[in-house]
Amino acid sequence: MEWKGSGNNDLEAAVSMGIEKFILSPFVNFVPQPFASYIVQAHGFASTIAKTVMDTLCMNNYTGGFIDTNYMVPLPASKDTVFMYPSPQIAKGMLKACRLFQKQKGLQKRRKRPGRKTPASRMRRAWKHPLVGCALPCSQRYKTRQSMATACGYLRKASMKSGGYATKADGLGAEIDITGYTPDRIRNFSIIAHIDHGKSTLADRLLETTGVITKSGKNKQVLDKLKVERERGITVKAQSASMFCEHDGRKYLVNLIDTPGHVDFSYEVSRSLAACQGTILLVDAAQGIQAQTVANFYLAFGEGLAVIPMLNKVDLPTAEPDRAALQIESAFEIDAANIVHLSAKTGLGIDRVLPSVIERIPAPSGSIDAPFKALLFDTWYDKYVGVVCLMAIKDGAVRRGDRVVSMHSGTRYEVMEVGIMHPEQRPATQLQVGQVGYVVCNMKSVAEAHVGDTFHKDKFPVVPLPGFAPAKSMVFAGVFPLDAGEFDKLNESIQKLTLNDSSVAVHKETSAALGQGWRLGFLGTLHMDVFRQRLEEEYDASVLVTAPTVPYRVQYKDGTSKYIQTPADFPTAIEIQDKVDAVMEPFVLATLIFPEQYLGAMLELCTMHRGDIHTHTYLDESRVMLKCRMPTAEMVTDFYDQLKSRSQGFASFDYEDNGYNESDLVKMEVLLNGEAVDALAAVMHRDNVATVGRTMAKRLKDVIRRQLFDIIIQTAANGKVVARETVKQLRKNVTAKCYGGDISRKMKLLNKQKEGKKRMKKIGRVELPQEAFLSVMTGSKE
Amino acid sequence: MAPARTPLSLYVHWPYCSFLCRFCAFSKARVPAGGVDHALITRALLAELRTSLAPHSRDKELRSIYFGGGTPSLAQPAHVAQIIEQASRLVPLAASAEITLESNPTSAETDKMAAFKAAGITRYSIGIQTLDDGVLQRVGRLHSGAEALAAANRAASLFPGHVSLDMMFGFESQTVDQWQRELETVLAHANGHLSLYQLTVEPGTPLFRDIRAQRVKRNPDDTLALMYETAVALCRSRGLAHYEVSNYAASPESQSVHNIGYWQGRQWIGIGPSAHSRFIDPASGTCLRTVRIPDIQRWVRSCLEHGHGTAKSETVDDAEARQEAVVFGLRMLDGLSNARFMRTGCVSSGALSLAEYLRVNQVQRYLRDGYLRSSGRLDHLAPTERGLQVIDSILLDILP
Repeated sequence: MEWKGSGNNDLEAAVSMGIEKFILSPFVNFVPQPFASYIVQAHGFASTIAKTVMDTLCMNNYTGGFIDTNYMVPLPASKDTVFMYPSPQIAKGMLKACRLFQKQKGLQKRRKRPGRKTPASRMRRAWKHPLVGCALPCSQRYKTRQSMATACGYLRKASMKSGGYATKADGLGAEIDITGYTPDRIRNFSIIAHIDHGKSTLADRLLETTGVITKSGKNKQVLDKLKVERERGITVKAQSASMFCEHDGRKYLVNLIDTPGHVDFSYEVSRSLAACQGTILLVDAAQGIQAQTVANFYLAFGEGLAVIPMLNKVDLPTAEPDRAALQIESAFEIDAANIVHLSAKTGLGIDRVLPSVIERIPAPSGSIDAPFKALLFDTWYDKYVGVVCLMAIKDGAVRRGDRVVSMHSGTRYEVMEVGIMHPEQRPATQLQVGQVGYVVCNMKSVAEAHVGDTFHKDKFPVVPLPGFAPAKSMVFAGVFPLDAGEFDKLNESIQKLTLNDSSVAVHKETSAALGQGWRLGFLGTLHMDVFRQRLEEEYDASVLVTAPTVPYRVQYKDGTSKYIQTPADFPTAIEIQDKVDAVMEPFVLATLIFPEQYLGAMLELCTMHRGDIHTHTYLDESRVMLKCRMPTAEMVTDFYDQLKSRSQGFASFDYEDNGYNESDLVKMEVLLNGEAVDALAAVMHRDNVATVGRTMAKRLKDVIRRQLFDIIIQTAANGKVVARETVKQLRKNVTAKCYGGDISRKMKLLNKQKEGKKRMKKIGRVELPQEAFLSVMTGSKE
Repeated sequence: MAPARTPLSLYVHWPYCSFLCRFCAFSKARVPAGGVDHALITRALLAELRTSLAPHSRDKELRSIYFGGGTPSLAQPAHVAQIIEQASRLVPLAASAEITLESNPTSAETDKMAAFKAAGITRYSIGIQTLDDGVLQRVGRLHSGAEALAAANRAASLFPGHVSLDMMFGFESQTVDQWQRELETVLAHANGHLSLYQLTVEPGTPLFRDIRAQRVKRNPDDTLALMYETAVALCRSRGLAHYEVSNYAASPESQSVHNIGYWQGRQWIGIGPSAHSRFIDPASGTCLRTVRIPDIQRWVRSCLEHGHGTAKSETVDDAEARQEAVVFGLRMLDGLSNARFMRTGCVSSGALSLAEYLRVNQVQRYLRDGYLRSSGRLDHLAPTERGLQVIDSILLDILP
């Protein structure tokens, strides 16, 4: 049974009726009663409700706590549960509710043990239930420091389990006052570094030294919240965190805006940089300058930010700080004499980081007296409050109840909550000039939040900030549900995921072979991979992703031009002859940095991928920086893997967009028993057709299973067959022995095979396993 | 006139072997050091027999009894007689009931053959597997090819027309020619029935581990297919009709009544450790599939304490029963009649015809391509020789 409701009475009614699933709608006037207790039994939904209750409590200036015994499994109180019993009345109320619950559920009432009627023992009994929430007004705060500390400790533990929600009560729900932090006491900075140079670890240490998170040794990349981020050790989505610290006897509010490290996400980096006045350029002392160090430095330099170089990992035996410093000097022409040496892992030198930031990064400009003006530089979607906007306040101030206007759309919004990231959302009384924080303003969809937008107060228009160009898709890929029946489910998942990742371009697509699906545009292949992984992990969707292609441009003789996002749309040979003026393909300017001994291999790699070497310069006596212009299409296949294997992992790589060039492109089709499979088609340079055609046919032969007829695989370009392979007919497939005892096993096997068959895509009568689509995707040159 | 009794089969599992073959995935154990406690095993078997057969005594008749294993030829003929006698007292034996015993062709067991006949055995099955002494030794079988042929001759004189010889093909390094020569020899000694199995690598067997560790090579699929085709052709030329994937018989009378029971969905009761049963429970009317405890000691204890050693019992619903009927019916070249399918085992919901149940357009495609044959509007469906060879692929397409 399910019950939807919005308030106190509904919730209580649901509980008294023994409703198993309760959906508490957010944004409604659910006002917790002081001293009231809520028990919600919610199969599988316990934590959702807990979060909703907590949110509502916090938004209404109540403190609260909940006990989430993890779905009917009672856990030992000391470890995984959180409880607060600020006053005996509350505990009494909760216990009463628990008893009611027990009675309704027909649970055995536990025998009273005399002499143990402390609130704690009562609470322990309450843990037998899945979830208990309680509310109390702020005036009823904890009596002593001791109990407060205990409660906060428990909350922190719970926060780790509940994804951070419990911490909201950490500050006892009160809004903090940061109006004392005028621009001269504020520093906004980011950290830029090559992937794996320790950016997120440094962020962890800084958060620890300023007491934002506790030193537990367990803080691993606190700002990397996505599972895929932690797994892959990369940052995908920029996060920010505010810290308070003291320097020379004055208190400062320092805002750290974390940036992603991988090449694909340089768009995110530039967004984050627009909210800062300075940046730490973090370089691994053992590895020296890498390609992204260079790319990110020029991004920051272009924004006119103060750059403070720092050397990380100086404790490693292989560290060569002096050499790295020299490289910094020669590559960026900045003085590296007083460079900070640190080890984010061990904490060495961390105490020098924030002082440097405060001394060397300028305070934000702007005036508190000018009308409110803010730059929206990041957003995410929260299922309880809607869109959360991260803003850098350029002038004036904003507080709850203000009416703000988006300059992009002209829409008016009422501000519901402002605050800082500490590291979770923490409400503040007001955000003012120079500060960086979040604003919740009743936005329902991320599409409304235009990153780069300028906000001002209603009736006080301002001159808009420059803003950013929208993210540009570098690669496109088809995404299809494995089972056509899952289209709707996948549609929903993709929508949810793109709510938080507006850089993904979404178009519907229909393939003759794969049915209905989408053509998605990504910032790069890693971005694509991350998206697929998040889709599979967070939304439990099984998808088929086709080979990535780049946006080709076709210029017609009649003067029009068209972007080709899928090989299916690519003009045929005859069309090209008659109607097309030129076929253009996108190029990138790639930067490669590697030790000198790999120069030969790298030059060969670039040439092999139709690269045009621009320059190669020596950063120091042994490191080379190579600039090369190459087609984007070459980069999206196996370039990166090849780069790593040919340089034994020592080369690093970054790229930027570099326009279009005319190119001799052809579409290569794959035919199975004479039938063209649109989802396997690919556009490529004429020179590659022969090799790619042969490898593709061979790969397909390896992954296609034998069927009851011969399967002829052909790859063809411009109507001419390039390669041909045959998957021979299956001669025998029958279980030799099948008697009484074999029946169950045989039937199990059969049903498993039937399941497997469902996951195959049928092209005519030919069954194609998913690997077939992957085989086209991974690399094209042997 | 009393209503016709429903046919029932009885399977008796004798769990011990004097040697363990490297390819065998059946439940078995080597004869313990102090010898088998024959009396104890028999006592347990008899107890389980009594408990399991008693509920069926009113409306069933025994069409077949099958002593399998393990190596049931290691059992004592007197005990086999006791089991047969007890079974027939509980459920009447049909007039032409087939009572089969599986055996290994060691000379000691061959010596007991006459005693088994006296005990009531009517059909004798000998596991020859191969005549190549080298292969026999490598797979762990303690007899020679010559002994096997001697056993076959002896059986032919005792059970004329009712001897089955088991052979396997596809051993490592075996060539198609070798297989053909071996089969010719065996055909010369055959008397009614042959079972020719492709060596199957089952997970958990020593052979499986050998192959995984690449100590033993697997024959290529196409070679195995050729061996199978050779067997079909050769048997046909010697007058042995192919009637199931791995079974050949000189005449319909020589076919295995017991095994056909499995393929046609007849009810059967299995006794002994790890034995399976599938029957309609007279008490509830639902179709049950049960498995006995696999561990011999625990099974014995349970039989003596509770009268049975059932470890697991589950109901077979109509969907499963129908699926089984098709999967097993189409293992036989005779195929499956719609009439039989509609009576399928345990139909508790309304009857469904083959045409209603199967994916008809797929069936039609296979009919057209010569993999299946049928009469009328799917009154009868059967695989052709060509279809039988790939029936596992076909089933995946035609089953709903």
